[in-house]
Amino acid sequence: MTNQTHADDSWEIGGKTLKSRMLIGSALYPSPANMEDAIKESEAQIVTVALRRQAAGEGGGNNFWDIIKELNIHVLPNTAGCHSAKEAITTAQMAREVFDTNWVKLEVIGDQYNLQPDPFETVKAAEILIKDGFEVFPYTTDDLVVAKRLADVGCKILMPWGSPIGSGQGLMNPSNLKAIRKQFPELKLIVDAGIGKPSDAVEAMQLGYDGILLNSAIALAQDPVKMAIAFKYATQAGRLGYEAGTMQEREFASPSTPTVGTPFWHQFS
Amino acid sequence: MIKVSVNGEVKELDENLNIKQLITALNYKTKGFAIAVNTTFVSIKSYEETIIQDGDTIDILAPVQGG
Repeated sequence: MTNQTHADDSWEIGGKTLKSRMLIGSALYPSPANMEDAIKESEAQIVTVALRRQAAGEGGGNNFWDIIKELNIHVLPNTAGCHSAKEAITTAQMAREVFDTNWVKLEVIGDQYNLQPDPFETVKAAEILIKDGFEVFPYTTDDLVVAKRLADVGCKILMPWGSPIGSGQGLMNPSNLKAIRKQFPELKLIVDAGIGKPSDAVEAMQLGYDGILLNSAIALAQDPVKMAIAFKYATQAGRLGYEAGTMQEREFASPSTPTVGTPFWHQFS
Repeated sequence: MIKVSVNGEVKELDENLNIKQLITALNYKTKGFAIAVNTTFVSIKSYEETIIQDGDTIDILAPVQGG
């Protein structure tokens, strides 16, 4: 008899073996202490970070970095705010030196209104970064052809959006996400951006995605630490559901209680 | 003197400074950041051989929160 109460434990991404399938952001928390507690309680093993201009003699950024280092989990630097392949490549190279990792969450924004990624510049940057030894985690839309182009240039990981960054709208187009999963069984797929509620995480994981990446849904909750715990369980529940295999949907009702021996039914004629 | 832009602010500097000397001149600490000159990354190994030119744009970036 199996006694599996956790989703099929370890998995591999970017050359690392992990247990948690939740990747968590480090921005927008009410305080550094709250961020630290939320990340710890989430049990996430990958945290996203960024680079920004630092004034001379400033210690703020380094205080943040000290907290993250103390957590002793994997760091995934992003290229947020970049609008061209050139900017993203330079930011990735700078991040590799500062954070001492070849991982990069590649973000090249193509539209300032909905922060939609620029697929052309993203593919161009991904190709160059992979040749330069980076493990690229590309933030992309749910477009199947863009996913194919990213795979063609060597991406082993794809991170299609659920919906626009910070919108909390959940999965706008589950059928597109499902198609990407079906088309690329060998790639690691992470739903990145747009997740708002724990049920969105469950839905993404039930589609067979390998993980989720979220930030605002936790950091902007009324109680970020409690929400981090909620997402931890939601991610596990969705994965367990996927592994267990859901029942076939039926068009009509079908009683679950046996019909044989149903009381109060009598045949007179 | 030359004029350069450091993190978006115009600064006047002596001529022929390399990146290592620039960091000292601007009172930066010695580590915890990375540098780009004219949107091209300059690694720590290249600080001494990279001479700042008039009109250069320099970005000095450090870790912050990110999603």
